[in-house]
Amino acid sequence: MTDKVLEVKKLTKQYGAYRAVDNVTFAIRRGQVLGLLGPNGAGKSTTIQMLCGLTLPSSGSVKYFGQDFARVPQACLQRINFASAYNALQGRITVRENLIIFAGLYGVRKPRAKIDELLEYFEIARLAKSKYWDLSAGERTRVNLAKALINDPELILMDEPTASLDPDIADKVLALVEELRVSRQLSILFTSHNMVEVERICDEVVFLDHGRIVSQDTPANHTKRLGDATLILHFRGERALVERVLVSMGAQFVLPAVGVATIKAKSEAVAGMVAAVADAGVNIREVEVNKPTLEDVFLDIARGQR
Amino acid sequence: MTGSMARVWGLLVQEAYLTRRSLEIFFDIIFFPLMNVILFGFISEFLGRGSVTNNSEFLLVGILLWEVVSINQYNVSVSTLWSVWSHNLTNIFIAPVSIVEYMTAHLVAAVARTLIVLVVLAAGAQVVFHFNLASVGWLNLVLFVVNLTVFGWWIGIVLLGLIFRFGTRVQAISWGVIFLFQPLTASFFPVGVLPEVLQKLAWALPATYVFEAARAALTDPAVNWHAAGMAAALNLGYFVVAGVVFRRLFRRSRETGQFARNDL
Repeated sequence: MTDKVLEVKKLTKQYGAYRAVDNVTFAIRRGQVLGLLGPNGAGKSTTIQMLCGLTLPSSGSVKYFGQDFARVPQACLQRINFASAYNALQGRITVRENLIIFAGLYGVRKPRAKIDELLEYFEIARLAKSKYWDLSAGERTRVNLAKALINDPELILMDEPTASLDPDIADKVLALVEELRVSRQLSILFTSHNMVEVERICDEVVFLDHGRIVSQDTPANHTKRLGDATLILHFRGERALVERVLVSMGAQFVLPAVGVATIKAKSEAVAGMVAAVADAGVNIREVEVNKPTLEDVFLDIARGQR
Repeated sequence: MTGSMARVWGLLVQEAYLTRRSLEIFFDIIFFPLMNVILFGFISEFLGRGSVTNNSEFLLVGILLWEVVSINQYNVSVSTLWSVWSHNLTNIFIAPVSIVEYMTAHLVAAVARTLIVLVVLAAGAQVVFHFNLASVGWLNLVLFVVNLTVFGWWIGIVLLGLIFRFGTRVQAISWGVIFLFQPLTASFFPVGVLPEVLQKLAWALPATYVFEAARAALTDPAVNWHAAGMAAALNLGYFVVAGVVFRRLFRRSRETGQFARNDL
């Protein structure tokens, strides 16, 4: 039995002369959370649409659980599900009625028990009789997640599930996703524009730009590759002394304001640098270290510097 | 131009742009009134001829049976729009639902709703206008309903294909185009009232045979097997063509990415 729940090979989507997705290849292992990131127009949505069968690829292949998605779409769809901030359920009917519909579509054996279990799990049992369009954004997200788990999927495609949620609700939703992943060994394909979320939740991140994969690694390695940290020293006293010490160390720096030095340094060299400046007699008031984040990687890619 | 005048001008410009670009507005303010004029023009001509004595029954049988077409077509094409408007269509198609299963469910729902509405309307016509729809004969009624149902289906299937292919920008056709068939199928008046060229077109449509047979059945409820057979044969042909057209439109919609965008 393959450990890969999803295997995408050379997936390409061509719209006339425009190539929206270009030879994209990646895989997701059981229990893995893979982030699919990129600026607007990078090809994330088109990729997800092809993975869901909504859009037909121009070439390439998609395999779920070792099965060819193009040949046996229904068998594959039975084992996966989808949650997105941009999709909704029927607004005029209740939460329970919506879930009954999807229990039917996925052929859930004991729908009532399953729905009760999910309503309890997501703490939305009190909303069972509420119409979907009467719910708040946070409540809708929970109902959407309940729908996404109705068939006990082995893989969930999550397209910006926390978009439009306030930070508190978004944090709760992420906590639920983290818990789901552990308790159900779920594999997740996760897209978001919130890099903090991605760093928190993803084991591996695929960066897309202009339809192509430009980088694929763990969040930590992505940021490491970007290189230097930024060290900001707030000091009291002579500017010339600080300048002299930093020049002697061969540091890359600027002194943008009185009592402030901004230094580019390798993360592992930061502590030694601070110590050296202090040893030279500089009165250090405050130290800020800004390590590169996934957001920096994102911006770097989005601005085409890489 | 300043102040209030400028703002009114801005809103007028908006109306002009929308009128030019919106199919819904075209249908609401141009197409429907035009169809009403044409339809009632033909009805007036028919009534003016004074060729039949049971005018009111002619109209009622046409109106009641027309609902079979209308409700079936509505259910096949407009029901999907409810999912589109709710941003729920994607969720349904990400479930393991094949397009054949999806269409089957909609056709069954269309029949169920049609039968319920027809019973209610027929009962209303009986109580209020003392018109018994069953006076056309039970076997006739079944044949009429079956043929008109299939007629409503294949129109609905083609319209649904167009909605999948071109998105909600053409959504008005799903509730509008059917009214084009009201005069063309001579639903409320004999085919002979239509100009000759339209008569030829009318006889190419299965519903025309049904409405003609229904009017005749008001005086002689014997089954007109020729009309029933012609309607069934034409329906079968059109249904197959509609299936092929729908399949192509659906596939093209998925190739162009329109199908995924329908939901957004």
